[in-house]
Amino acid sequence: MSWKTARWIFYLGTLISLVLFLALTIDTHRQIRALTHADRLSEQVVAGKKVWQKYNCNDCHTILGFGSYYGPDMTKAYWRRGAAGLKAVIPTPEQFTTWRKMPRLALMDQEINDLVAFLQWTSEIDTQDWPPQDQKFRPAAARAVALGTSPGALLFQEKGCFACHRMNETGGQLGPDLTHVGTRLDYQTIEKVLTDPRSVNAQATMPPTALSHEERGELSAFLAKMK
Amino acid sequence: MVLAYPSQRVAYPYFVVALLLFVLQVIVGIWLALSYAVTMPQGLVDILPFSTTRAFHTNLLVLWLLLGFMGSTYFMVPEESERDIFSPALAYLQLALLVATGVAALVGFVFGWTKGKPLLEIPFPLDYLVVVGALIFLFNVGMTMLRGKRWTVVQGSLFGGLVFLALMYLFNLPFYANLTIDWYYWWWVIHLWVEGAWELIAAALTAWILIKITNVPRELVEKWLYVELGLFLFTGIAGTGHHYYWLGAPKYWLWVGGIFSALEPLPILLMILDAWHYIRNRRDGFKGRLVFTLAVGMSILHFIGAGFWGFLHTLPQINYYTHGSQVTVAHGHIAFFGAYVLLNVMFFYYAIPKLKGLTEFDERRGTLAFWCMSIAMVLMTLAFSVAGVLQTYIERVMGLGYMTAQAQMRFWFAILVALGLILLAGVVLSVVDLLTLRPARAAKEMG
Repeated sequence: MSWKTARWIFYLGTLISLVLFLALTIDTHRQIRALTHADRLSEQVVAGKKVWQKYNCNDCHTILGFGSYYGPDMTKAYWRRGAAGLKAVIPTPEQFTTWRKMPRLALMDQEINDLVAFLQWTSEIDTQDWPPQDQKFRPAAARAVALGTSPGALLFQEKGCFACHRMNETGGQLGPDLTHVGTRLDYQTIEKVLTDPRSVNAQATMPPTALSHEERGELSAFLAKMK
Repeated sequence: MVLAYPSQRVAYPYFVVALLLFVLQVIVGIWLALSYAVTMPQGLVDILPFSTTRAFHTNLLVLWLLLGFMGSTYFMVPEESERDIFSPALAYLQLALLVATGVAALVGFVFGWTKGKPLLEIPFPLDYLVVVGALIFLFNVGMTMLRGKRWTVVQGSLFGGLVFLALMYLFNLPFYANLTIDWYYWWWVIHLWVEGAWELIAAALTAWILIKITNVPRELVEKWLYVELGLFLFTGIAGTGHHYYWLGAPKYWLWVGGIFSALEPLPILLMILDAWHYIRNRRDGFKGRLVFTLAVGMSILHFIGAGFWGFLHTLPQINYYTHGSQVTVAHGHIAFFGAYVLLNVMFFYYAIPKLKGLTEFDERRGTLAFWCMSIAMVLMTLAFSVAGVLQTYIERVMGLGYMTAQAQMRFWFAILVALGLILLAGVVLSVVDLLTLRPARAAKEMG
């Protein structure tokens, strides 16, 4: 290789990459308003971000997957715990932690409200379905549209079935996908599974669910219709 | 007289401070591993939370590596420019300013004075003092080069990297209201440092050392330096996209980030081949083996850490599960160690004997320290990786809770505490050795 070629590799390589990167940066700025719902970026959300930084939360928790890995990721914390849950944990972490501790941070009430607003806004950022482990906590409101509002559909969400089962691309990975469960199992079998999971499959790891007779019927009817 | 230019002496205090901070960084690191392995009492966590000690660990790393680069620059530039440093007094002032800022920042962290952004916690107005320190440095080095007798590609790469480094830090100064934009530009600092500016500095310092110790023709080294820099910047700049997969940016970053960052190992591979070629074809002149050992060790671990361990989780299909897990930690540790820690250690072992007027020195302690540190770090990387795979599988694939995964990872952090102690032994040995180098003959007489 000649000196001249080497220099060309340097100038061209740098320039191509730089131009591409800057062009995409400009385009990203144009799209980011929609992707992050920047219209909902209220003063309270900004105040909450300042609280997040003031207490250095990010050096224990990741957010958008960035930061430190000592505590759970906060991107979708609002999905996991909701406003009430977050407001309970933040001021009294010692009541919610076991062998790994979070400091008691003496936040003022206003700061807690701001922080929760910030986490709610953050949970709405379009992160291409990241993180995988929190997709099962996608807000019920978003799912109700897909599942309908029959009593069985609501029970499916309220009883935490999504924690293990997937339906229409959301939910946990531990149990089978139930999107088309009605094609595999009939009403009677589903009702038997719900009463005692091992009565149908001896290997089942699903816990027996606490359902009334009526609830069991409604949930089974809903699942049997998922075809 | 071993020193070519008397003003090269300003490098020494930079090296001493850097080495002491290195020891402190590793001690804090062991504390962090311990915090993962055992239950810290609530009362202690309230006073000294993990977040504070982690800020210590990362800021100490950045501070000592940068002080090492700066000292190395002050050592190298006079020989390249063929004149003394423009102002040694400014160099000492700059060191005093940066160390004072660093100490103020570290003490401040304990009292909750922080910007609250990982790795860039240094709050206002201390961050502006960092900028002032950087400007003094660039001015001093720039003036030296400007008034120098010659201009070389090695110098150009070094100065380019330093200006690039300082420029990118500016993106850390504003407050960003939108979290996604905040992280978008956070990576302009962090990624474009370690996979851009710092690589330019590292490539320049390495090329210079290789010219010095192998006596291969400068034209050859500088030609390949051009190719390496071109590949580093080609893959590194657009490769920033591999941090933009899941932060709320458009989907095309999955393609751009995936493709460009997958090519990032190439320039590092070229560096290994280069170093290997120069060392095999060296012409006699430089005495001692340790600097060669460090040069080869550095390029290999640079490739394994930054190249291979980075490649493992850079593709979006994999990164979806590993992003923000201990897999990242594994990569971060071995990459920083291979690319930048060993670079500094190599430079110190080249420069400090000269600063002390030694032509040859007893290399036994230094060699032992290199192997001790490197083996400990490789094993640490494996332990972090096991923890990372457990976390990825249990938490993200199986969908079990965060703490369920952490419980399974605990054992590996206990292992990491032990490995950290071995690393510390190696680090302390190399620091003590560097600060008390003895002539080779005296060592022989003492047995």
